[in-house]
Amino acid sequence: MLEVNGIRKVYDGHGRRVEAIGDLTFSVADREFVCVVGPSGCGKTTLLRCIAGLLEPTAGEVLVDGRPVSGPPPGLALVFQEYGRSLFPWMRVRENVELPLREKRLPAARRAELVDTALDAVGLSDAHRAYPWQLSGGMQQRVAIARAIAYEPGVLLMDEPFAAVDAQTRADLEDLIRTVWQRLGVTLLFVTHDIDESVYLSQRVIILSSAPTHVVESLDVDLPDMRDQLSTRADPRFTELRGHVYAQIQKAKQEART
Amino acid sequence: MIKRIVFLLALPIVLVAGWWFVSAGSTDFYRPPLATILKAFADTWFGERITHDILPSLARLAAGYLVALVVGIAVGVAIGRSRRLRAATEPALEFLRAIPPPVLVPIIILFAGIGDLMKVLVIVSGCLWPILLNTVEGVRAVDEVLADTCRTYQIGGWRRLTHLTLRAASPQIVTGARQALSIGIILMVISEMFAAQSGLGFTVIQFQRGFQIPEMWSGVLLLGLLGVALSLAFRLVERRALGWYHGLRAADREW
Repeated sequence: MLEVNGIRKVYDGHGRRVEAIGDLTFSVADREFVCVVGPSGCGKTTLLRCIAGLLEPTAGEVLVDGRPVSGPPPGLALVFQEYGRSLFPWMRVRENVELPLREKRLPAARRAELVDTALDAVGLSDAHRAYPWQLSGGMQQRVAIARAIAYEPGVLLMDEPFAAVDAQTRADLEDLIRTVWQRLGVTLLFVTHDIDESVYLSQRVIILSSAPTHVVESLDVDLPDMRDQLSTRADPRFTELRGHVYAQIQKAKQEART
Repeated sequence: MIKRIVFLLALPIVLVAGWWFVSAGSTDFYRPPLATILKAFADTWFGERITHDILPSLARLAAGYLVALVVGIAVGVAIGRSRRLRAATEPALEFLRAIPPPVLVPIIILFAGIGDLMKVLVIVSGCLWPILLNTVEGVRAVDEVLADTCRTYQIGGWRRLTHLTLRAASPQIVTGARQALSIGIILMVISEMFAAQSGLGFTVIQFQRGFQIPEMWSGVLLLGLLGVALSLAFRLVERRALGWYHGLRAADREW
């Protein structure tokens, strides 16, 4: 269970006050898959960093499993957009995935098992000994996802993880994330600026306004659980939902301008 | 591969051959023929001078260099991680770095006497700064996303130091260590020119004062060869420690 209560974030600096997040309140139930979309520059990354305990909000609080966040909470994993910078270039793929597990003080056999399963799940069972920079962008992001899976988090946060990969890889990774979520039973909060992606992936889409950010709408995605790149995207209900999200974001942008 | 070796060796061979032929018939006392120098080289250095002069010099160099490495990296990590410490120490470090180490020799003699300790301290006083300052820069420039990754996965303390901070700073640290090595060789020789009873610098000066000119030249030659050997050894270590870095750089260029 993830709760965001009245978060507000104001950046003060160089005589300029920027209110990145105005007032945000929402919650994500256990095992729920929620996407957050909003116009560009609406403080999505700021929000995610506040939830991950990497940034302190100006006001309000974040609760993970009922405990207030005052630093990175245990059992939470974060997949960054910049996959190239979030993997350790001096470690092989396997060591990258294993490192957080060593910090958890798991026995070696259990660690090996988790790493094998995670790398299998993302389709990288033959890349254990490669260095991240020997892999393509999409494969690097798979390694980052494998690292998050192996960690067995209760809450998984993803910050526009597919923004920097090509369209076909992106479709593969979207399906991968759906599978992982179903298999792992993890609470997943996925930030994106891509409206189609948000509707395709999630059970619920939270639409944000422009800065100072607040929640415009929390929209349930009533599509069947089995999603497919072809049939789901051709579903009239899918088109309807994405049209609705699009209209809401356009409206939010216009309100911000006036 | 063969082409590369030929390329590497071509200029040295030309230079040595040039020296050989130009000096061949020389009767100038101060510029003996290379043949004479090489003969003196074998007579002078392949004997008890190995244990009496070469090894003590190298031992002092190794001791001073290692102390500088350990202290430089430890202090550099501490300073690099704290903005406040950096602001407080920067002017002092810039000043200390700007002092040419040879002028410290007379001062160090006052405190440490004229034994091995003095010579090691002279080497430390020169090798420390490039290592320390480069470590500070390297630690300061640790990638933010990697640092956030460590925080999210609760990787802290010793594991963070060895898996993130030191590794991320290692290309910079190696740059500093390479500069320090050549400074160390210079200071090894200089420290032995003051009040010494053994060592390469001491021996070369002795030969010069005793007008043993071919022997003096052979000492210079030996120092040059030692420098080359040490820098080759350094490159081997670097290739092992920074293999990932060179691979990463090559991959970045490809994309």
